Amino acid sequence: MTLKQKQKASTAVLAAVVTVIAIMYIYPVFLMLINSLKPFGEVVSSAISLPKVWAPENYAFVITKMSYIKLFFNTVFITVVGIVGIVFFSSLAAYVLQRRKNKFTAFAYLFIIIPMLIPFQTIMITLLKTMTTLGLAGNKLGLGIQYWGFGIPMAAFIYFNFMSTIPRELDESSYMDGAGTFRTYASIIFPLLQSVTATVIVLDVMWIWNDFLLPLLMVNRSNETKTLVLAAYTFVGQFNTQWHYAMTAMVLTVLPSIIFFIAFQRNIIAGVVAGAVKG
Amino acid sequence: MKKQKVELLESVFYPLPALLFVGVMIYIPFVLSGYYSFTEWNGIARAPKFIGLANFKAIFTGGADFLRTLLFTFKYTVLFMLFTNIAALALAIALVKKFRLANTLRGLFFIPYIMSMTIVGFIWRFIFSSGFDTLLANTNLGIFRWSWLGTPNLAFVSVTIVGVWQSLGFYIVLYIAGLEAIPQDIIEASVVDGASGFLRLRSVILPLLAPSISTCMFMSLTNSLKVFDIILALTRGGPAGSTYSVTLGIYRDAFQNNRYGLGSAESLVFFIIVLILTQVVMRVFKSEN
Repeated sequence: MTLKQKQKASTAVLAAVVTVIAIMYIYPVFLMLINSLKPFGEVVSSAISLPKVWAPENYAFVITKMSYIKLFFNTVFITVVGIVGIVFFSSLAAYVLQRRKNKFTAFAYLFIIIPMLIPFQTIMITLLKTMTTLGLAGNKLGLGIQYWGFGIPMAAFIYFNFMSTIPRELDESSYMDGAGTFRTYASIIFPLLQSVTATVIVLDVMWIWNDFLLPLLMVNRSNETKTLVLAAYTFVGQFNTQWHYAMTAMVLTVLPSIIFFIAFQRNIIAGVVAGAVKG
Repeated sequence: MKKQKVELLESVFYPLPALLFVGVMIYIPFVLSGYYSFTEWNGIARAPKFIGLANFKAIFTGGADFLRTLLFTFKYTVLFMLFTNIAALALAIALVKKFRLANTLRGLFFIPYIMSMTIVGFIWRFIFSSGFDTLLANTNLGIFRWSWLGTPNLAFVSVTIVGVWQSLGFYIVLYIAGLEAIPQDIIEASVVDGASGFLRLRSVILPLLAPSISTCMFMSLTNSLKVFDIILALTRGGPAGSTYSVTLGIYRDAFQNNRYGLGSAESLVFFIIVLILTQVVMRVFKSEN
């Protein structure tokens, strides 16, 4: 065999091995899906095989029982509020802090990024108290706004680093043309930050959509304000002996993430890599 | 002169929302945690009672459960870092090879990472109970009879397996990015020089991959120290409190046992530990690079 043939053969073997590992690896997700489509008795008696009797009615039951549609839009609302604020405030702050160098901006930059070192659990107890005092606990808008505080440090850090690669001539010529700071930010700078904005959106959508602890602290009181993940946690807790309904709720909870991932796979992976390397 | 004044005003005004939200959501609670850590407070009484260093004394002398949760978290962190990095690197090396399914498989490995961690915990709770019961009936293998969530040692193993399973895809993606950044001609040159697979890995690929390795080590460290959701859904800290992580322990003390002062003290000690560990790990990898 030539070297090339040898390499080809070893790649084929490797490919086969990795494929088998991947199938085993993803099998738990598949297991959740097939059990969500079985009637109760079958989940208990044969958990690992395909359904003998299909039970799509599980979905109808769970969708109404857990008010899925409302939860879905609750989560969309919270995520959108969170993302819009994080992107806007971070990029605006990073632009000004990177371009104007003085004592205040140096301090402000550190003030904004240092919280990246503080684990959320360190402040969660007193956060609840603070947010209750400010009226930001117990409602969806308040929860969305809270994500601004927790999302801004990393987003501002990523924007700040990227800002230094944008030539100053661009904003200076905009000032020459008579545009003010905000106008220059909105029409010149922000469009140039597009690739970083994509990274920030990917990272923060995945984070906020799947976040559990902050919603548990803030919006767990009422079914009106719950997020999807939080409601699924309660639902599975209540139906923990009726696994067919629990599995259905779990599938319905992860479905939006999986569709989001399949639709934007390239951007998501690029964003995750960029975020890890820059953050 | 006037222009300078305007510029200074602007440099205060535009970052102000960011400063405000970070200040209110993070700095104020952080300072309050410092205050409550010196008090005893059940959340109901109007005023917390000042008790000095008693909370910290309880933490370090074992009067609180903190040291046990800390030991659990350390053990989990070490194993999590080890297994995720080794498995992710091995799979990444296989997945950068060019074959037809490579891209699909990369996507498959990433799916658990985009799923909510509580759901991941529930899936595995089902597998370790009903799933293994069925497998036992079909295969009669001893490992399916073991009580994977019911005995402390096995429950620790289960939590670690599930934690690694959930986030492996993330580290695979980071290692693939690192491997793809290595210039192809360097690898080809080492093939021509006759370096065998293992030698090539050790003396050519790994040194060039050092930046990715330190990123992954750092990320896996900070993520595993904060482990919370997966355990809550999988074991709820049991059996007999053996799988409480530090963060879950803080949650229990504050919100379930209503000992807000003790919880605050624990959360500050946790913060210091995380800070020291991450700085040490960062230094180690910086000097090695």
